[in-house]
Amino acid sequence: MFGQLIVNGIGTGLIVALPALALTLTFGILRFPNFAIGAMLTFSAYMAWTFNVLVGVPLIVSALLTILLFPLVAILCDAAVFRPLRDRGSITLLVASMGLSFVLENICRLFFGNAARNFDIPLARPHRLFDLRFTNEFLIAAAVSLSAMLIVYLILRWSALGRAMRAVADNPNLAAARGIDSGRVIKATWALSGALIAASGVLVGMDRAIDPQLGWNYIIVCFAAAILGGLGSPVGAVVGALMLGLIGELSTLVVPTNYRVGVAFAMIGVVLLLKPNGLFGTREIVK
Amino acid sequence: MKPKSILTAEAIRSGYGGDDIVNGVGFEVGAGEVFAIIGPNGSGKSTLIKTLAGIVPIRRGALSLFGGDVTALKAPQRIAAGMAYVPQEFNVFRNMTIAENLTLSTEFLGLRGQGARRERERVLEMFPDVAERQHLLAGNLSGGQRQMLAFACALISSPEVLLLDEPSAGLSPKLVTEIFDKMKAVNEMGTTVIVVEQNVAAILPYSDRAMVLVNGAVRHLSAASELAAEGDLHALFLGES
Ligand SMILES: Nc1ncnc2c1ncn2[C@@H]1O[C@H](COP(=O)(O)OP(=O)(O)OP(=O)(O)O)[C@@H](O)[C@H]1O
Ligand SMILES: [Mg+2]
Repeated sequence: MFGQLIVNGIGTGLIVALPALALTLTFGILRFPNFAIGAMLTFSAYMAWTFNVLVGVPLIVSALLTILLFPLVAILCDAAVFRPLRDRGSITLLVASMGLSFVLENICRLFFGNAARNFDIPLARPHRLFDLRFTNEFLIAAAVSLSAMLIVYLILRWSALGRAMRAVADNPNLAAARGIDSGRVIKATWALSGALIAASGVLVGMDRAIDPQLGWNYIIVCFAAAILGGLGSPVGAVVGALMLGLIGELSTLVVPTNYRVGVAFAMIGVVLLLKPNGLFGTREIVK
Repeated sequence: MKPKSILTAEAIRSGYGGDDIVNGVGFEVGAGEVFAIIGPNGSGKSTLIKTLAGIVPIRRGALSLFGGDVTALKAPQRIAAGMAYVPQEFNVFRNMTIAENLTLSTEFLGLRGQGARRERERVLEMFPDVAERQHLLAGNLSGGQRQMLAFACALISSPEVLLLDEPSAGLSPKLVTEIFDKMKAVNEMGTTVIVVEQNVAAILPYSDRAMVLVNGAVRHLSAASELAAEGDLHALFLGES
């Protein structure tokens, strides 16, 4: 029982880790929390569903196509909505992202209606190991999520683009003074976040039915994970998501299932009281 | 005899929010000069040099570099045009190692592998202190080492015009001499230097000309030796002249 809760918690955490990572990456560079992350997730799930069910290609191919194409949607959203408001401060951008969220959700509703949709995937019996159940969805989510994290880590740590992203996140003026073109870094950041959101859109769509409200189920926990870890910290987002997943599941041992979100939030409250910038957050420099 | 002008500022205005901090500043800097900008606290020296670097946009007036108009260019494009800028504070990336700080600068030049290494080694020859500690986080360096690293990063692009904002701030007298000596060495290899300083007594001997900025406007501009002989800098600074 205990072991199974841990497995389930890790599963939830790994799925939430991807959009939380996307949220924290765009926050680090653009300094606003992208509320549209939920609607973007919904949009990408419909995109994958379109390839999978309407076009009729296998889910793995649909997923790859979505991961390749959704970043373009993210860059487009930035060009249309956020770029014109770049210098306006984070509250304006947050409100703009709420507007974008509304628009994206209704585009989905317009094209696909309100009915719940499912990917075309065969049902499979769960695998058993040491008395624990591992569903196929769990194994796929774990593999995809862990590889995505590894790729993001490698990009941030070792590539020229990653160094430029860290530089702009740390100190935009100094980055400009060293010749780094922030416009390119911003595009790359949206592309990377878009790919992460798309991957999570597919994973979420495998876990439950896709409807225009799909993203709403994740937006709060995704913000919570990113804030818990320290907005702007990629490691923090992943750790925050895993902690929330685990604590949510384990709390069902002592409190009724309905209250598990409450337990997770109580824990965030405690962490933020002790560490106002989150577990891995750094204080912003004032210039 | 004045050397050929390399940078020309004409009636530049710039600032933050609603107010102009730099109020119509004009001057010319000749090729190979060390040009000092001095003035009291809050007179707009940093704002002016940020404006030259393209970090703060020019609202009115014009700036040209090598006779070409760069008024509308942003910082990365001005860097590409031959400028380099070392800010007063936060002049290195604290969460990166020394090596990564240097690599960022070579990457902007499009250098990889061998070429990048050679460029880094060329610059690091001047900064043995920095060269020995490349795996250290820049945020853990002492004030002097950080200043040297910032200086080294700026030199990687082999700039024609080097903009320095208070390189001596917070350094011991020995280190001040060291950093100004390095500045002079770079200058003697052909780089034009524009340097903002509070430490007037220390910078004037290294400078060809000096400009006194008060309330965002030019109060005085002359040969550095002339200004040093003036004696009553206080009067100039406080506007009692
Ligand atoms: N980022 C900013 N936003 C708004 N106002 C600023 C900003 N930076 C500086 N100022 C204001 O501009 C004025 C000039 O500041 P600036 O830093 O250019 O002066 P300075 O001559 O470099 O001073 P110091 O000798 O202390 O470095 C000051 O009144 C300062 O408060
Ligand atoms: Mg200053």
